[in-house]
Amino acid sequence: MPMLAEQKKRTVRINGCVASAQAAKYADVDVIAAYPIRPYTATMMALAQMVANGELDAEYIVADSEHSQLSIAHGASSSGARVFTGSSGVGVQFAYELYSPISGSRMPVQMMIADRTLDPPGDFGSEHTDALSTRDMGWIMGWSCDAQEAFDNHLIAYRIGEDPRVLLPQMVCQDGFFVSHITGDVELPDSGQVKEFLPPYKHPYPLDPRHPVSHGPQIMPEQGPPLQLERARAMEQSMAVIEEVHEEFAKIFGRKYDPWVEEFMTDDAEVVFFLQGAHAVTARFAIQHMRERGLKVGMVRLRTIRPYPTDRVKDVLSKFKVVGVIETNMGLGSVSSGGVLYAEAAAALYESQKRPLILSFMAGMGGEAIVLKEFYWMTEKMLDAQRRGKIEKRTHWVGFEE
Amino acid sequence: MAYTELTVWTRGIIMDKEGRDIVNSISASARIEGKYAQAMENYVDNPDRTNCPTRKYCRVSDNVLENELTYENEHPNVVVLVEGTMVKGWDYMRGMPPGGTLVINTHYTPDYMIRFVPGPERLAQLVCVDAAKIADHKWLYYRLGELGLDRLSTEGAAERNKSIAPDIAAPLIAAVVKTTGIVKMKTIEPMIANKHAFEVALNELHIMPLNPVAV
Repeated sequence: MPMLAEQKKRTVRINGCVASAQAAKYADVDVIAAYPIRPYTATMMALAQMVANGELDAEYIVADSEHSQLSIAHGASSSGARVFTGSSGVGVQFAYELYSPISGSRMPVQMMIADRTLDPPGDFGSEHTDALSTRDMGWIMGWSCDAQEAFDNHLIAYRIGEDPRVLLPQMVCQDGFFVSHITGDVELPDSGQVKEFLPPYKHPYPLDPRHPVSHGPQIMPEQGPPLQLERARAMEQSMAVIEEVHEEFAKIFGRKYDPWVEEFMTDDAEVVFFLQGAHAVTARFAIQHMRERGLKVGMVRLRTIRPYPTDRVKDVLSKFKVVGVIETNMGLGSVSSGGVLYAEAAAALYESQKRPLILSFMAGMGGEAIVLKEFYWMTEKMLDAQRRGKIEKRTHWVGFEE
Repeated sequence: MAYTELTVWTRGIIMDKEGRDIVNSISASARIEGKYAQAMENYVDNPDRTNCPTRKYCRVSDNVLENELTYENEHPNVVVLVEGTMVKGWDYMRGMPPGGTLVINTHYTPDYMIRFVPGPERLAQLVCVDAAKIADHKWLYYRLGELGLDRLSTEGAAERNKSIAPDIAAPLIAAVVKTTGIVKMKTIEPMIANKHAFEVALNELHIMPLNPVAV
């Protein structure tokens, strides 16, 4: 198999979609399964160019739908290939049938998701609902907040998913527009660094006519539970691998990420935002301004949602008086009548001796930017809850209330 | 100018690259000069359709851009119309603070064009430049086939011509930079592919001074 051409470390100004394509190139993927849908389209276009220019030696297959796209990814991965695919919004939904079979057959397919609001009506904007609706399908899943982190997360996720102790597919998510189409400085590594970090992929039981094996046959009901238990264990056991891989990434590339949560100005914070993804960029500015006014506010950004870092979330959020969950997703009729992040944060805190008050903020819906004054408004709501010592209203739709 | 917003209105596909080249080159120049700058396309306008109005944005600031994720320019100080007939039909002046600049690619004079501008009292200057003539812009008539292959509503990914401002963008960039000083001439000039059109335009701008704002 021809190896990726030598590359020297350099900084380029690219958006999240191109950063994802670059990461796939550095990971020297073997098969790319593509089907266009905005904003993911920009990633498949960049990859098509790389293949056409001879920068990347990969099978580039354009499917006839997302369902076929993920089926191709499944088959290619079963034959031992390193696979890269991706989608957005309703495209993610159309491929839904494949998510469980891929994780169930323990194929470390990687899927880039650039979020897009689900219909109706058609909206280009970003909500996390598309990927989050697949969150229990056995895929490792997390969000990045800028192009550099997106690039890094792709390499990190391959290393985690392909680890023989894990063997699980990964959804590497980024907000549509806010990451996918905002340019930032991205350090592309030296190819030697990538070789050191990400060894060539080798599945233990690939489909191979010389060594016949069966994948995904029909089974009897009693054969189901042990397989489900194995998949559940793989998810649990991946947590140690995730921590290991992040440490090794920091050693080789010099960028240290906490695998589970980013804490920003939380040392003496009393009220914090709890969120995922790109809105953290604006939240950091808002928090700095509010700190100048003496408000003890901070932010906790969830970086990995599957596997869910229950104990870590419990320990971190227990330190505060009020937690404001910024959803950026729809959980219609859910426990908070808001989004889905609230329920898991609340569940993680249930065993804590010191439970903060929790509010759910429906903000950034439909792909609206969450602007500074909305962060100030949400902070006021949290401080108000802190003063009263109780929650008057569990879920707030930001921009629709006084 | 501590913070400047530049909004470019252009025609989908056929002049998409031109609009993109303007915001990209100015933003890149500002960063070379040590400023904070961002260039982006209007996310909702894309993928563009032939001839449809589409917008490109640039922000230049002495300070960190805290509104990097806001997907439209809300208060453009400078507006560029890449194609002259765009002067009529919609409010490209919306949100412009007093003291703004409007640059139009047109063979008409500012005296003629000003009557179509909504809210001209916000302008410090109206700048007309015959960019199509200066750049010897003929592809709409003679190179349509090439254009059809090169421009496929792919946010630029499928364009074969990777040079910056090989065509009508060059005189328009010259007009913006000379009349607003958003970046230095010597920073941006080396990036421009059509240097001839860039140089000629500097001397062929038709500038109508309007309502300056005291600084």
